[in-house]
Amino acid sequence: MRKLEEVISKKINPLYYGNRVLLPFMCDILKIVIEKDIITDFSSSKKGAEYYKRETYTEIYFHDYDDLEDYVTKYETIKMIIVEAGQDVFDFSNHIKIAFHVKEKHILEMELLNDNYLFIE
Amino acid sequence: MKKITMTLFLLILMLINSNLFANDGLTVSNQVEQASEVVTHALPPAYMVIPFVLLLLAIATGPIFYHHFWEKNYPKIAIALGAITVLYYLVVLHDTHSLLHTLAEYLSFIALLASLFIASGGILIKVDRKATPMLNVVILAIGAVIANVIGTTGASMLLIRPFMKINKDRIKPYHIIFFIFVVSNIGGALTPIGDPPLFLGFLRGIEFFWFIKNVTHVWFPTVLLVILIFYFIDLRNKDGESSQTYSNKIEFKGLKNVGYLIVILISVFIDPGVMSWVPSLSPLPFGIREIIMFSVCYLAYKGSDEKILKANEFDFEPIKEVAYLFIGIFATMIPALQLIAHEAKILGDQISVSSFYWATGILSGFLDNAPTYLNFLSAELGKFGFDVNVKDQVHQFSLEYPIYLEAISVAAVFFGAMTYIGNGPNFMVKSISERAGVKMPSFFAYLIKYSIPVLIPIFTIVWLVFYYGKG
Repeated sequence: MRKLEEVISKKINPLYYGNRVLLPFMCDILKIVIEKDIITDFSSSKKGAEYYKRETYTEIYFHDYDDLEDYVTKYETIKMIIVEAGQDVFDFSNHIKIAFHVKEKHILEMELLNDNYLFIE
Repeated sequence: MKKITMTLFLLILMLINSNLFANDGLTVSNQVEQASEVVTHALPPAYMVIPFVLLLLAIATGPIFYHHFWEKNYPKIAIALGAITVLYYLVVLHDTHSLLHTLAEYLSFIALLASLFIASGGILIKVDRKATPMLNVVILAIGAVIANVIGTTGASMLLIRPFMKINKDRIKPYHIIFFIFVVSNIGGALTPIGDPPLFLGFLRGIEFFWFIKNVTHVWFPTVLLVILIFYFIDLRNKDGESSQTYSNKIEFKGLKNVGYLIVILISVFIDPGVMSWVPSLSPLPFGIREIIMFSVCYLAYKGSDEKILKANEFDFEPIKEVAYLFIGIFATMIPALQLIAHEAKILGDQISVSSFYWATGILSGFLDNAPTYLNFLSAELGKFGFDVNVKDQVHQFSLEYPIYLEAISVAAVFFGAMTYIGNGPNFMVKSISERAGVKMPSFFAYLIKYSIPVLIPIFTIVWLVFYYGKG
């Protein structure tokens, strides 16, 4: 199982195919902000988003976006608050804020968010 | 109470009087500004207000009940409803003057909003200080003052992100809503640059400094009262109290874009109505001012530092949303405004300062406040035998009957804070906040939980103290 640290140091990029996102590590997702959508309910298979922790990666489906490329522009990002698999979700210091920039060839560029970014937990 | 009943009666009468299902052959004057020519056309029937009502309902209910359908389709809905009104005016009324006049107002509106939005998007203000209710009060007060220098839109765009960043560990929707109340609306009542309705008044002949001379005594206690309420609410917010250390530094980046803001402000005055040497581009529905503003949009975007744009998560979506929705709003509200203007002229003699205050205010909360202001200005002038198209007469009116002008100026600006659609920057601030992860209240929740309990009592006090029993 890959750790987030390894993914960042080896620059392994997440991928997207239409409305599906593949994160190359296992995690729990607490909140996603995409455009003006603030998603915290991942229980529905029809609206918002749902995610699955697979053996080596995490898979997310955005139900309201056919193709992420059409919605997320050059300066915009998909923002998430995640907790790496195996970490204590109740410890706020484990809550990691990440932004994903949509690039060409199905690649998502991952960026750990610093204070420059405006992202309210 | 009697005055409120009179105002409500007036609003209802306007609709009933204009014959709900038939065009009764009444006429309305449309001013073609550049030519100062007055053309008469048939007044639209009251049912032509339906597209406007439908659009308001869609804006109010779309994000709540059919969120994703609305997100994807709001441009089509706004344009389709606007097209109904446009077609009616073209085919049935043969009235191109109203349409061209509205198009010119829309282009002027969107040029100012877009240029301020893009230029301020390239400015980054970072304040590394602990968020406290007092610091928030200071920011809101600064916002209220600078709204009169760079407009409510400019001040909102410049300050909303730093305001949210400072409060990031304790932010709640009320922070954003009080920001909309103070910085995006009430603050900008002291100069014609502050809010578009006052600018229209300035173009018609009201002195630039008339507002600061005549409105400050209302503006100051109102801003103080709203900020004071915010302060006591914010005192109860104990979130985000940590031992984190702060450098207390204030960082400012994007000086070049401040230059663009200055260009926008100067261009506001480049109008044939203000400077006689400025050529009119009539019959085109825009002027030199709009060309400068749209050029600033392009230059500011191309010339901005990419790092700052990225840090601000600059995106065209908020301005795109405003641009599309307001195409629909501007088009569909033409009949509503004409009916109001018509009724206001008929009932002018019976309308007191109080009625002007409440009617201008209530309609400004739901319609665009600029044309609403102009129509009530026209009605007030008509009441005293002046003509809104003659600059000297508007100037004379402002000197002889300042209380009337003051009431509609205050109401048009202040009541813009009542809803998300009351003033252009309200929607942009909401959009930026949502993209930053703040769950904002719906259209109705904003009205019921914030505007009615906070603003209506304050505006009632303003009315009782300054306008009740006068005029």
